[in-house]
Amino acid sequence: MTLNQVPDHVPAEMVGDFSLFTSPGMLPTPDGDPQAATACVHAGPPIFYSPFNTRDGRGTWVITRATDQRRVLQDADTFSSHRSIFASALGENWPMIPLELDPPAHGVFRSLLNPLLSPKRVTALEPAVRERAIALIDSIAASGTSCDVMQDFAFPFAVSIFLRLLGLPDHRLHPFVGWANDLLHGDDVKRPAAARTILAFIDELAAMRREEPVDDFMTFIVQAQVESRRLTDEEVRGIGVLVFVAGLDTVAAAIGFDLAFLARHPKEQELLRSEPNRIVLAAEELLRAYPTVQIIRVARKDIDFEGAPIRKGDYVSCATMIANRDPAEFECPDTIDLMREDNRHAAFGYGPHRCLGSHLARREIVIGLEEWLARLPAFRIKEGTAPVAYGGHVFGIENLIVDWS
Amino acid sequence: MHIVVHKAKCQGHARCWAQAPNIFKLDDEGYVLLGDINVAQGDELLASRAVRSCPESALEIDRTSAARFEPAAMQPRAGEA
Repeated sequence: MTLNQVPDHVPAEMVGDFSLFTSPGMLPTPDGDPQAATACVHAGPPIFYSPFNTRDGRGTWVITRATDQRRVLQDADTFSSHRSIFASALGENWPMIPLELDPPAHGVFRSLLNPLLSPKRVTALEPAVRERAIALIDSIAASGTSCDVMQDFAFPFAVSIFLRLLGLPDHRLHPFVGWANDLLHGDDVKRPAAARTILAFIDELAAMRREEPVDDFMTFIVQAQVESRRLTDEEVRGIGVLVFVAGLDTVAAAIGFDLAFLARHPKEQELLRSEPNRIVLAAEELLRAYPTVQIIRVARKDIDFEGAPIRKGDYVSCATMIANRDPAEFECPDTIDLMREDNRHAAFGYGPHRCLGSHLARREIVIGLEEWLARLPAFRIKEGTAPVAYGGHVFGIENLIVDWS
Repeated sequence: MHIVVHKAKCQGHARCWAQAPNIFKLDDEGYVLLGDINVAQGDELLASRAVRSCPESALEIDRTSAARFEPAAMQPRAGEA
């Protein structure tokens, strides 16, 4: 297979040279700002073709305007999300649920899962989330005047909330972080190996909960009924895998980007520390500025979209970080204003697949920032270090070493 | 003020509820309840801010003159305890 080949139906003048994988600032970059680096597309047309814009080197159409992304993502009849991203790493073909199901099957599973992660349910989880944040931050405060935010806080925090949701003890934390990392950022050997390990884990957990039900997410899944029947093993897997891949890396990355911003902006940091009631609103602006996900859909039929001849089977990319820098949607989109109101950002996507875990993610981010700012004094990027940020399918940040000596 | 709720467009972001939980009510799945909303005068600023926060544009302020004269049959929901 030849990669980077532009399909015949794409007019040459609609091919752009921007890619979330290969453009400047997308590869791991010390002191990089990959989200800001995507804003350059707004100088160009509303839609163009990027010949290399997936991990495996496929081309995609790129939708730049928020209003057009809304149209694409709200129209699941035309733009399908069934791509078997996880299964394809194993050479298999089954959907992560509900993300990779299209309506009407999507609605059945979405309705089943919505109550588990609704705003109301998340409010009930809040004390446990806060307790976990406090424990981690207190231990960081007690052990010195510097830490690596990602290793010491963001990942263990996100993973431990996930473990609690699954009813698993915290000592399972370390293997999880490794699996998630290998799966999302590993090479062609590590990715399938991690995928297999995660599947085996989910199968084992499902079997355990079938045998001995407890009050947790997986017990709910194995006991649940859709259309008057129990879920199949493949459906249980599909749900388990999605919760795993969607809930770990993204929340950790968001917390990392947010604390990196505050480390570099002492005035804003002090504002939120002295007036913590501003954190809820500020977190929305940080979600606008530092979203992490590129959403890709597959055209189910030929459609002409804003002058672009999209053909059945074409990939269509709706990158949340691009929508969030759209000057037609946000005043001064490149300015990060922690007091911004009316912030209808796209960090959790648009349409029926709106991030199922968005309410939990928001609470984790807000609580993480609240407890961090309340328990640690003014912090900055440690001298001589540079956090490495990267673009790609899921944007992220590593080696965020901060110092408060 | 009268707010038109485009229920089919609601995807459960719950940004309206987060800003004005007394004006915008959610069902058990976290989606806005069916039915347009009459907003009490004192809550108009808050309600319009919530409308502008909806990522799906599922809420719309009805500015037609008829909307200003609320039919007696519609009970205001704003400011409920």
